[in-house]
Amino acid sequence: MNSKKCVAMLLAGGQGSRLGVLTSKIAKPAVPYGGKYRIIDFPLSNCVNSGIDTVGILTQYKPLELNDYIGSGKPWDLDRLSGGVHVLPPYQGQQGGDWYKGTANAIYQNLEFIERYSPKYVLILSGDHIYKMDYSKMINEHAKSGAACTIAVLEVPIDEASRFGIMNTREDGTIYEFEEKPKNPKSNLASMGIYVFNWDVLKKYLTEDEAKKDSSNDFGKDVIPAMLAADELLRVYRFNDYWKDVGTVDSLWEANLDLLNPKIDLNLSDHNWRIYSRTTAMPPQYISENASVENSLVTDGCEVCGKLDYSVLFENVTVEDGAAVEYSLVMPGAVIKKGAQVRYSIVSENTVIEENAVVGADPAVVGADGWGITVIGAGLKVGKGAKIGPKKMLTEDVKEGEVI
Amino acid sequence: MRTSAVAGIVFANSNDNLLNRLTSLRSMASVPFGGRYRLVDFALSNLVNAGIANIGIITKENYHSLMDHVGSGVYWDLDRKNGGLYLLPPYATSEAKRYIGTVDALIGAQNYINRCGSDYIILYNSDTVANVDIPAAIESHVANQADVTVVYHKGGSPKNHKETMLLELSDNNRISKITFNTESQADVNYDIGITVLSRELLKKLVAEGYENDARSLNRDIFAKATGQLKIYGFEHKGFVAVMDSMSSYYRANMDLLKSDIRKDLFDKKRPVFTKTRDDMPTRYGTKSNVKNSFIADGCIIDGTVKNSILFRGVRVEKGAVVENCILMQETAVEKKANLKNVISDKNAVIGADMVLNGTENNCFFIEKNQIL
Repeated sequence: MNSKKCVAMLLAGGQGSRLGVLTSKIAKPAVPYGGKYRIIDFPLSNCVNSGIDTVGILTQYKPLELNDYIGSGKPWDLDRLSGGVHVLPPYQGQQGGDWYKGTANAIYQNLEFIERYSPKYVLILSGDHIYKMDYSKMINEHAKSGAACTIAVLEVPIDEASRFGIMNTREDGTIYEFEEKPKNPKSNLASMGIYVFNWDVLKKYLTEDEAKKDSSNDFGKDVIPAMLAADELLRVYRFNDYWKDVGTVDSLWEANLDLLNPKIDLNLSDHNWRIYSRTTAMPPQYISENASVENSLVTDGCEVCGKLDYSVLFENVTVEDGAAVEYSLVMPGAVIKKGAQVRYSIVSENTVIEENAVVGADPAVVGADGWGITVIGAGLKVGKGAKIGPKKMLTEDVKEGEVI
Repeated sequence: MRTSAVAGIVFANSNDNLLNRLTSLRSMASVPFGGRYRLVDFALSNLVNAGIANIGIITKENYHSLMDHVGSGVYWDLDRKNGGLYLLPPYATSEAKRYIGTVDALIGAQNYINRCGSDYIILYNSDTVANVDIPAAIESHVANQADVTVVYHKGGSPKNHKETMLLELSDNNRISKITFNTESQADVNYDIGITVLSRELLKKLVAEGYENDARSLNRDIFAKATGQLKIYGFEHKGFVAVMDSMSSYYRANMDLLKSDIRKDLFDKKRPVFTKTRDDMPTRYGTKSNVKNSFIADGCIIDGTVKNSILFRGVRVEKGAVVENCILMQETAVEKKANLKNVISDKNAVIGADMVLNGTENNCFFIEKNQIL
């Protein structure tokens, strides 16, 4: 086996329970984003564009669709003779086996995989974020600094800092303390969940952590504090570009609409930093004579006859005559029938909104009290003329004329 | 039928001269069509959707862009250990010359024909756009115990096509007479450039024809053998466009604005595959005004677009108007430019405030990489 300078390990096992019905059948990294992507396309494309050609994807929760999506890794150019992409579910060994207990344990259970490549560095990534980042710069900086571990951080507004894992640093960028969601944050440097470790050091701490019976086997809660306690050199790597955690319905919705905001710097058409995805063979989109399309993203296979404003249509979506879709995401294969109105909503894959149904509501009309994004689960049918109010999350079909 | 029972041979340079503005730098097979396709995609997808995984593409000249497009064949699932995609350029063997007719083209491809090991061969012209039920054509060939089966369409035949056969059919669809006409004729049975025959018969006909100075398989061999050979027709009833001129190319693209034609050509059960480019979805800006248009991914539209076909990565800036146009990959229409009946080749740039007017039968053509 050829040795590799760096192996990336992508934590993709999380359920993403805050996304509710959107992750009832699929793992969070497989959630559709931006018209033709899945969340996992971002870390995978970043890896390839950064020159990292060996990626382990740690899966656990509802892996079927994710496995299918990754396949041989071809769309990301990760079908390699040496290295490439490997999906790593928990497995049974001679001494039995176990589910991944925490993020650190997931890596520990795959020591053998990493050892095959005898890397100098291991890059730990998660499958929950939308961002474009050149990991090679971070790895170079890590190598030059002589640190045991470098953690990517983002400056967040100080009044929001208590929602994040916060790195408290000295002036030279070395970390002296890590606080998970502190009540009174001392710093505004939020961890992005991206770590570069020297592999020999990480191996040692993972092995020690595994031996501790009371450990939760988590990078943030256990491994990083143990390294700090042992006076290892940990540093931050500052990142200043667009980065968004899409762990909640609101943030997923926002991150999609961010693509329509010219002030937000997330250019997905940069030929030098393409975001790759697995696509199916769909013809181009058709916009009809009666359609009106503004401020929207539309992709292959869509047929639009109605009105679109501030919305993202995924593959193969149909919006019929007289229907209106505003401030909404409509996921692959969904159909919005004649006269239906969808506002401030996420309509999941293959769901049908029947004629004249009304889904979601504009906060300017219904008032901000109790308002929120409405989410309709996958493969459902919302009957003719049904009305679904704001902030609803539907997991079952809605009958004709029903009001929810 | 086992998958290796049928192989395909695609002619990449079919009637190149008829689309001369688009084929000066490329073969007919790699002419862009329908927003995200090249003509060869229709031939390859039809064959692949029929389970055929062994395909040779005979090229003559200008095949660089074709090689670039098809690569290893992976986008059509043709990167195979058994079979797969073979590009068959001229001069590949010492006896293979730059061919003139289909007979010497097939002589040049005889190594491929000898080695592909299939029972049947489908010959496929790259200037045909259609979604053809190839398995049904093969079934009818077998059921009729035919020597040759010609796929035909009933309607107005393409003009300028010296090799397109006009078929006289008997009741059981056996072809009794084959004629040729370079003018378009309304309401005839004309061959659409897809022919099924056994590999052994193809080898024999090509070898004999070559000995006797035959050049064209259709004209010099099939047309003269309707008595000796059992030549049958198989009707393709769906949409078909055979390229015969720049105006037919334009009309065939514009046909894609019709819903029934899109449904037929892009039949979800038999998808059309092409090389992917990983563009982002198309972005429509504030005040974008788009009507009746067929648009590929990666476009950025801030202006007005009507009755047009936009390929991947086209940019239409604020105040610009694009009407009845075909704009190929990466065409940029800058602010307040006004285009009517324009065909732009790849990477064309139309500067701000430019006004370009063509007519439906004589579109204004902008060359590849041209900046106006």
